[in-house]
Amino acid sequence: MSTLEDLKTAVINGKRKDVKVIVPELLESGVEPTSLLQDALIPAMAIVGERFKNNEVFVPEMLVSARAMKQAMAIIEPKLLEAGISPEYTAIIGTVEGDLHDIGKNLVATMWKGTGFDVIDLGVNVPAAKFLEAIDEYKPQIVGLSTLLTTTMPAMKETVAAIRNAGHSKVMILIGGAPITQSYADEIGADGFSKDAGSAVDIAKTTLGIA
Amino acid sequence: MSSKERIRQCLNHEQPDQLPIDFGSSFITGVHCSVVAELRQHYGLEPRPVKVCEPYQMLGEVEADLLDVMGLDVQPIFPNRTIFGFPNENWKPWITPWGQEVLVSEHFKTTTDKAGNTYIYPEGDTDVPASGHMPKTGYFFDTIERIHPDYDEDDLKIEENLEEFGLMSAEEESYWKQQAEIYSSCDRAVSTHLNGTCLGDIALVPGPFLKDPKGVRGVADWYMTVADEPEFVMELFDRQAEIALQNMAKLKAIAGDVIDVVVVCGTDFGTQESTFCSDATMREIWLPRYKKINNWIHENTHWKTFKHSCGAIEPLLETVIDCGFDIINPVQCSAKGMDPQTLKDRYGDRLTFWGGGVNTQKTLPFGTPEEVRKEVLERCEIFAPGGGFVFNAIHNVQALTPIKNMIAMIEAVKEYNGN
Repeated sequence: MSTLEDLKTAVINGKRKDVKVIVPELLESGVEPTSLLQDALIPAMAIVGERFKNNEVFVPEMLVSARAMKQAMAIIEPKLLEAGISPEYTAIIGTVEGDLHDIGKNLVATMWKGTGFDVIDLGVNVPAAKFLEAIDEYKPQIVGLSTLLTTTMPAMKETVAAIRNAGHSKVMILIGGAPITQSYADEIGADGFSKDAGSAVDIAKTTLGIA
Repeated sequence: MSSKERIRQCLNHEQPDQLPIDFGSSFITGVHCSVVAELRQHYGLEPRPVKVCEPYQMLGEVEADLLDVMGLDVQPIFPNRTIFGFPNENWKPWITPWGQEVLVSEHFKTTTDKAGNTYIYPEGDTDVPASGHMPKTGYFFDTIERIHPDYDEDDLKIEENLEEFGLMSAEEESYWKQQAEIYSSCDRAVSTHLNGTCLGDIALVPGPFLKDPKGVRGVADWYMTVADEPEFVMELFDRQAEIALQNMAKLKAIAGDVIDVVVVCGTDFGTQESTFCSDATMREIWLPRYKKINNWIHENTHWKTFKHSCGAIEPLLETVIDCGFDIINPVQCSAKGMDPQTLKDRYGDRLTFWGGGVNTQKTLPFGTPEEVRKEVLERCEIFAPGGGFVFNAIHNVQALTPIKNMIAMIEAVKEYNGN
C-alpha cells in the first residue's frame, strides 16, 4: 500500500508513472485530496526548489519533478474543486511582449503551483493590456513578469507602469529572467526579483507576508 | 603579422603582436543586422542594405570593407544552408518589422498574422507549418516547437532524432570546394561551423530546418529526456559522432588547410546562476562523444576546436578541457562564478577565451561609452597577456545596442593595442 511519503518521493524523483499509480491508490484508501496536496506535493516541490537553489539538481531534474507534480494535480484538482476547496492565493504570470522564452517562466509557474497558489499562465509575448485584463478577471495577489532578452526589458518596464497606472497598487509585481537584477526591479518599481525558480517561492511568500 | 598568423599564435597561447578581434565570424560572435547597418554608416562605408547571413538571430554579414575598417581578424565560411534549411542565395530586399531594409535569401519566405507576428518556413516552403516566429516587437526569430502527433515519450526512436544528420551532400561538397578556393589565400584566420557536431543544442533540437520533424522536438521534452532517458541520448550522440567523423574527413580533404577554427558545438551548459547539469552528467553523457570528435580533429588537422556555452559554467571548465576543446565562448562573465581573473588564472594556459570582452546584458546596451571603454580595457588587461584571448563581446551584439557604445568598444581595443 502506497503512502504519502511514497508520493512525495515519486515527485522529488520525477517518477510520473509511479505518481499515476500512487495518487488513485491513496484517494481510494480514503486519504483526503487536501492531504495529498499539503502533506506530499507541496513538501516535495519545496525540497526540489531547495535542491535547485543549492545546485544539487538542475533544470532537467526540476522539469521531470514538475511533470510528475502536474500528473498528480490533474487527478487531485477536480476533487479539490468538487469539495469546494480553492487556493488562498492567485498569481498570474507571463513573458513580456516580444519575448518568447518560457522555460524560466514555466518553472516559476510550477513552483508557485507547487506551493499551493492558483497560477494563471498567460503564456509568452504577453502585451501589457492582456496582463491588465487578467488582473481584472482573476484578482491576483501576485503578477510575475519574465524576460530573457535585453531588448524586451523596456516592455517589462512598460508593463509594470501600465499595471501601476491602472490603479492596481496592491498587486505585488515580481520579475525575473537572465538580465534582471534587484536594482532593475527597484528602478522600474517592481516589488521583488527572483534570481531562480527556487527562490521565486521565497520571494512570493515574503512579499505576501506568509513566509 | 597577418591576421591569420596573429590568431594562430594567440590560439597557441603565445603573445601575438596585437590582441586579435572577431565580430561576425560565427553565429555566436555576430552582430545584429540593425547594428551592422549603423556600423556601416558610422564608418562611412558604401550605403547598401545589410545581408542577413543568419536569419534566425537576424545577424548581419560583416563584409570585407567593414572587416577592414574595424580591424577584424577572422573570416567566416558559413554553412551552405541556414538554420531554416535554405541556402543563402539570390538575395532579395526585405523590410524588417522595425522598418529596416535588409537583403535576405530568395528562400526566406515569411507570412505575417493579424497581430503583426512574422513566421518563417523550413526550406522556404510555405505549404508546411512555420518553424520560426518573430513577435511584432521582436528583433529575431525563435523556433516553433512542432510536436508530431505520433510523438510518444515512452517510445522514443533514435532514427527520428537522427533525421537531420547525414553524410555530406553533393551540394554541400561543391559549396565547400568553391569556398575553399575563394579563401585559400585569405590573410585572415578562417572559421566555420562544423555540420552535425552539436550534441543537443537546444536551438537545433526543434529541427527548424525540417519540414515535418519527428521524435523529441520540444525544448522541455528534450531536457526531460536527458534526465529520464540518458541511454537514448548517449546512443543518439554516438550515432551523430560517427556520421560527423566521416563528414570531417571529407571537409579536411576539401578545405583542411584553409580552415583554422571549427565551431564544434553550441550546446549551453549554463544558466545565469548555475549549470544545466552536474559535472558527473556532463562527463557521462557528453565527454566521450566530444572527445571522439576533438581527438579526430587534433590527430588529423591543425584546426582549433571551439565550444560555445552561455552561463555559469566555471564548475564544468575542467571537463570542457578534458573533452579536448581549445576555445571557450562566449565567456559570460556576468554569470555566477565567471570572474575574469579567476578564469584566466585557473584555465588561461589551457583554454582560449573567445569572448568575455564586454557585458552584453548590461554595459554594452545600457551603459555609457566611458563605462564600455573602462570595462573593455579591464577585460583586455586580464585576458590578453600571454595569448589565449580573442576579443569579442559576450555573445552576439543585440539589436538596440547604441552605436556610440559599439564604437567605444572597438576604440578601447584599439587603445589597448596602442593604435
